[in-house]
Amino acid sequence: MAPRNLLDLDDVSAEELVALLDRAETFHRDPSPRRALAGVPVVNLFFEPSTRTQTSFAIAEHRLGAEVVTIDPGDSSMVKGESIADTAVTLAAMGVGAIVVRHKESGFPYVLARSFPGHVVNAGDGTHAHPTQALLDLMTLRQEFGGIKGLRVAVVGDVAHSRVARSNIHGLRALGAQTILVGPPTLLPDAMAQTAVQVERDLDCVLPTVDAVMLLRIQRERLDSALVPSVAAYAEQFQLNPRRLALLREGAVVMHPGPFNRGVELTDEVLEFPGCRYVNQVANGVFARMAVLEALCA
Amino acid sequence: MSVSSLLLRGGRVVDPTQNLDGVRDVLIENGRVARIADQIGAGETRGAVEVDLRGAIIAPGFIDPHVHLREPGQMHKESIASGTAAAVAGGFTAVAAMPNTSPALDTPELIRAVLERARAAGLARVYPIAAITQGRAGKELAPYRLLAQGGAVAFSDDGSTVDDARVLRRAALYARDLPAPFISHCEEAALRAGGLMNEGETSARLGIAASPRLAEDIIVARDLLIAGDTGKRWHIAHLSTQRSLALVKWARSQGVAATCEVTPHHLVFTDALFEGFAATGRVCPPLRTEADVAALRAGVRDGSVDVLATDHAPHSAGDKAGPLSETAVGFSGLEVAVGAYALALPDLPLIRFVALLSTNVARLLNVDGGTLAPGSIADVTVLRDEAWTVRPERFHSKGRSTPFSGMRLPRRAVATVVGGALVYDATGRQAQVANAGERHPAAEIGI
Repeated sequence: MAPRNLLDLDDVSAEELVALLDRAETFHRDPSPRRALAGVPVVNLFFEPSTRTQTSFAIAEHRLGAEVVTIDPGDSSMVKGESIADTAVTLAAMGVGAIVVRHKESGFPYVLARSFPGHVVNAGDGTHAHPTQALLDLMTLRQEFGGIKGLRVAVVGDVAHSRVARSNIHGLRALGAQTILVGPPTLLPDAMAQTAVQVERDLDCVLPTVDAVMLLRIQRERLDSALVPSVAAYAEQFQLNPRRLALLREGAVVMHPGPFNRGVELTDEVLEFPGCRYVNQVANGVFARMAVLEALCA
Repeated sequence: MSVSSLLLRGGRVVDPTQNLDGVRDVLIENGRVARIADQIGAGETRGAVEVDLRGAIIAPGFIDPHVHLREPGQMHKESIASGTAAAVAGGFTAVAAMPNTSPALDTPELIRAVLERARAAGLARVYPIAAITQGRAGKELAPYRLLAQGGAVAFSDDGSTVDDARVLRRAALYARDLPAPFISHCEEAALRAGGLMNEGETSARLGIAASPRLAEDIIVARDLLIAGDTGKRWHIAHLSTQRSLALVKWARSQGVAATCEVTPHHLVFTDALFEGFAATGRVCPPLRTEADVAALRAGVRDGSVDVLATDHAPHSAGDKAGPLSETAVGFSGLEVAVGAYALALPDLPLIRFVALLSTNVARLLNVDGGTLAPGSIADVTVLRDEAWTVRPERFHSKGRSTPFSGMRLPRRAVATVVGGALVYDATGRQAQVANAGERHPAAEIGI
């Protein structure tokens, strides 16, 4: 793969996506340590706390033989006192080959990539993109159904504020799936409808028609900013619960990027549901991230 | 460069007040337009300096009703001296300066200080706009009559909306009988929230916090209703949406004394400028959609837009680096405006172009100029219709950021005359702005 960075999936071709997924499967089958990134310093720069994604990246980096450096921007005078451009130049001068970055602002990795000569991997930027999450989601779907083309995938919840949803929309479309976005207009603007992306408001009508349901986390702050009336009101329309699980087709799966808010977007029973693929998603994350780092840096 | 008389030779003279569009000679004596004629012989001029303007356009001086000169308080971004140098280099003989300085222009002393600085700079005329509320805080009324006596030509809290409708209504009532209009910046605070760009397809796709067009429309509607109820003359600043323009038309149809302006950037760019998270397009109100751009252009053509305004908002380079949320709002406009307007409005008759930039602005602000009628002040803008490339590093403004950077524009300023003195001259090989104090009598400027 020629590209320098992975900032989102919108500029990754279907061929490149398939190659990444194939490579991730190889790592899945044989998770033994590799040397592809031996001697390459990789910096994990997480401006937003994230146990799950940061750990997953660190494991992937170690397994490829990289020299893993973790900077906590909260403690780092280098990062705090400098512009992004200065930080990028400083890290490059130390020989850093790749930066894995998470930031609360949409577009932050793009700004970083303008001044960093190495590789930038977006580990989540604001409400914009989370490409490695989408990649692990695609990997999970492919394992389940053998391929992505022709699948119908519902993405349910706070789509407007979801970087996971946005990256999945690009990935699913590139690989020929139909995405059905479901949520209230405050969390899912009409403007999000586009080619191969449908906007629906009635979850009960959508559930019997899809192969997979991707649930999104509803953050508590949405409740405090007049976007939904209450947890109960949201749950009544959009929560996945035993009654709604029964509406799913035979063989349909349920996914969630985690961490979940039990009692909001889902109930405990959903996690016990045989079609729940949450654990597979987390496991696949390491392999998907290995594939990305290897493709960019090796 | 300080001369007592000038003979502008052989240019195409365009003056809406005389319904004139033709090749003429213009003789300027004692800071006034002395004569306009088909041909003025050298013997008739008492030794006037001749400027060959064959092929150029000669217009009454352009007046920008909306600039930010950053002085006092933010002189790392701009000063009255650098801002007026940018003005004359962009073809503007006068600018109206917004009061969002530090401190805000809310006392007659501050207004007089700005006028004093403008006189010392000796380039473009500066017409100060005073705040509507003290400190632009939206709470207490400013002393309108004293401010007008001090030289304020309008009132505005620009940069902010007066959020409290009761305060604004009382301000309008109190200031009703002064001719100086209220100029409102229209963005409803709660709807705008943390919006960094226009809410629409692009913001939805990029996941960028956005402000809807409704945020502007709702305040435009409110302010026009307050204007109607109070009888205050009202001007809507940097109008950017199709519906806001319709609201202004509606208000006028109801007899409200309402006018509006549009900016070069809102006539040229859309929110698509944010693709790839480019920060150069961050401005308030935000760049809108194709439909809005088309509506604004149509509004300029059909006369529902009264004047053109740059909203020149310079920032230092550091303010424009970094991620979108940390990027300063606005950019330099004075030195691209003439070309940008021509780019957006290629089919606009020149006489209308001049009216929108000169005659109508003089009328709006109730100031001298806007005409080349014999006897009027000799503020003259000279243009050429020739393509040039925007190179911000050559700006006279301290603000070097503009979304027009690198673009080819079809019209440019080649000379600027203020009070009879040639303060900008790019008719030769090298463009030159006059040095401070080198030119016309100071008393001519800024009143």
